[in-house]
Amino acid sequence: MTGIAYSVWLPLFALLYGAVMLYWVRAAVNESTAGDGFFSASHALAPWISALVIAGASMSGWFVLGGSQQIAAQGFQMPALIVGGVLLALPGTLFFKRLWFVAERMRVSSQAEVFRVYYHSPFLVAASVAVALLFAIGFAGLQIRAISEFAELMTGGAVSRLTASVVLGFMLFAGAGIGGMRAIGYFGVVQTVLAFAAIVVLSGFALIWSGGFAALNSGLLELSATEGSAGLFSVSGVIRFTAGLGRGGELGEANTALANLSFAFALMGFQASPLVLKLVFSTRSPNGIAAGQTWVTAGFFGAIIAFCIALTGAAGLANPNLGLGGLLGALQTNSPWFAAWIFIGVAAGVQLLAGLALFAAGEGLIRHIYRPYFNSRLSKRGAITLTRIAIAVLALIAMVMENLTPVTLSALAALALPMAFQLWTPLLGVTWLSWITRPAAVTGVGFGFAGVLLTEPLGYQVLSFFGLELPWGRWPWTIHSALWGMAANVAAVLIISAITNRDALGAEAREVRMLFSGRLAMSDKAGTLSSTAWSVTLAWFFLAVGPGLIFGNAAFVAPGEAGPVWLLGMPSIWAWSLAGWISGVGLIWFLSYKMEMASPVHVAIPPYEPPLRLTRDKTAQEQERVRTLMLTGAIGFVLAVLLAFSFGG
Amino acid sequence: MSKPAMVERDLLVFSIWAVLGLGGLALLLEGFSRDSYLVSLAGTGALVAAFVAHMVVNAVFDCGFRPGEAALGISAFGALALAFIGGWAVGGLSLADYWSGLTLLATLAFGLPAYLATRYGLRGAFSRFHVRHTDDGKPAA
Repeated sequence: MTGIAYSVWLPLFALLYGAVMLYWVRAAVNESTAGDGFFSASHALAPWISALVIAGASMSGWFVLGGSQQIAAQGFQMPALIVGGVLLALPGTLFFKRLWFVAERMRVSSQAEVFRVYYHSPFLVAASVAVALLFAIGFAGLQIRAISEFAELMTGGAVSRLTASVVLGFMLFAGAGIGGMRAIGYFGVVQTVLAFAAIVVLSGFALIWSGGFAALNSGLLELSATEGSAGLFSVSGVIRFTAGLGRGGELGEANTALANLSFAFALMGFQASPLVLKLVFSTRSPNGIAAGQTWVTAGFFGAIIAFCIALTGAAGLANPNLGLGGLLGALQTNSPWFAAWIFIGVAAGVQLLAGLALFAAGEGLIRHIYRPYFNSRLSKRGAITLTRIAIAVLALIAMVMENLTPVTLSALAALALPMAFQLWTPLLGVTWLSWITRPAAVTGVGFGFAGVLLTEPLGYQVLSFFGLELPWGRWPWTIHSALWGMAANVAAVLIISAITNRDALGAEAREVRMLFSGRLAMSDKAGTLSSTAWSVTLAWFFLAVGPGLIFGNAAFVAPGEAGPVWLLGMPSIWAWSLAGWISGVGLIWFLSYKMEMASPVHVAIPPYEPPLRLTRDKTAQEQERVRTLMLTGAIGFVLAVLLAFSFGG
Repeated sequence: MSKPAMVERDLLVFSIWAVLGLGGLALLLEGFSRDSYLVSLAGTGALVAAFVAHMVVNAVFDCGFRPGEAALGISAFGALALAFIGGWAVGGLSLADYWSGLTLLATLAFGLPAYLATRYGLRGAFSRFHVRHTDDGKPAA
């Protein structure tokens, strides 16, 4: 074939993808009447659509970009990645069903609104929006940058990274900004299956070019025998008391069992983020949650992570030419149609996450911050228009940062998952632990965010700018910032809940508690299993992602004459993780169905009727807020400049 | 069919063709590129699987192909046939390419009457094309 024939496939597939996206955007817009459904798809998404899109957003694009490259670079030192499907599904199992009923009862459609009605806390609303912003600009932006780099690589520079990121930015706005939540849900199905197919086919090529599974593993075994490479196939101890990366801690020694456990907690932040809860609240029934979390996210997509993404990473580890970039480059040369299909699939996965993040962040800024606190007279149509503008501006900011400030983008991206994990405590307060008081939840999240910031580059670089050098670097003691933050978070929540009035609740919070102690109360049968549930969950965490990983280093290795022998024909820690994934699916099934945490319930929930209150004109109050905000901003800026000038470098 | 059901049906159809349709096309092209009849055959198999899955979805939702889908399918078939005949006419086809193309076109050509026969029965399938007119010029009931 000619050069033109080879280079035509990527633009052709991209055009087809764009056309399909516009078709679904049009379908979504046509279904919305007078803006109804822009923010929540009229709470009418089918359960199977939500289950699929939640699974797709939870793992597809970023796992193939990040996960496979991490394995290719650092080997199997972080087996928590391989059981990612289970870790991603766990928070949804715990929260989704109860939160859906809260949203149904209170007629709300986002995490920030749940916090507003339950805790009456502007801080928690702002925290939820801040997490959505981190996902929209940092987390998704970083992946769009990566996918733009692949576009440049595959077109031999004909399409630059800048051009690719601009095109992707426009597509993101067209998808999320115009079509709203309904378009994200509908087109998300197509994006998810495209991403799934791309990951499977890519791993197929990686396997074929590695010479098959046996040849791949014999390459890995050879690698493990070379000096200094054995550590790529094992977890290096339980904990190391280093000052952290950048302060004497070495990356090669940082992947301990506690690093795995704390990274697992970070992964568990994703389904506690406002992004995924947008999808949950846009669903018409909670009856697909158990099946979605158990079989789609933990089972099917968990298998894709455990096998396909691990295989793709392992191929890159055994042969650096078969890293993700090398694979796509070779495919573009030999089979451009497959390269185009795979690239579009991975890009679709990234776009799904980025679109959802931009939408949640845009909505948060306008509907949850601007409208209630600064302009309560804003009409619904006005809110939609402003949200579209906010999405466009956020997409533009992300695009600029992708190309001009990749380091800052990376630092912001690193905050998204651990900060989302800090939202666990207020979510637990709403759903399961009613003794968590409002001051405790607020202080806990504040402390949690501080803990994350102080153990991530953004935090200590900002402090360094102001002249305060922290004695530790990133992830001190090889513990991920998610766990440092949660330690501070939980400590604050326990202490403050103990000393504050647990009965000082708003009317809405009392309604929620009545709901959970009444129609949605756990059955006696499930109650008798609760100690078993605690035991198996803790055991699973210990063995699959915690200190028990040390057993996995040598569980399936036998001494041989010519060196160690892998009894299952694959690295022992990989096999251990596969066992962890299988038992993890069992755990999710047990929690979802037997413990009734996500099981189907057929009860009608009438909307809550709040007591009638006189509506007051808030214009003066809102104008005062704007003035205060501007004044605080100006004083803060001046103080920051003075501090940096006095002590900074 | 209700509007939400129609949307769900369309989503399934798009998903099927995004995976099996594009995958089949890629395999076909790979087969042509490598002169491998087996790879092309896998591509044809994937396209047939896509058709079958599409028909299963139609059966679940109790509907047939939409006019747009039929038009797109027939156009794609025509384009494929034209490309094959063009390639054969200019002598650009290897033996493997020739058999691959012939297999694909034959499968698709036999697939249409097979589909009509299974959906409408033999007599009904014939009636889809043969519309009898009464003396007053209107179609018979």
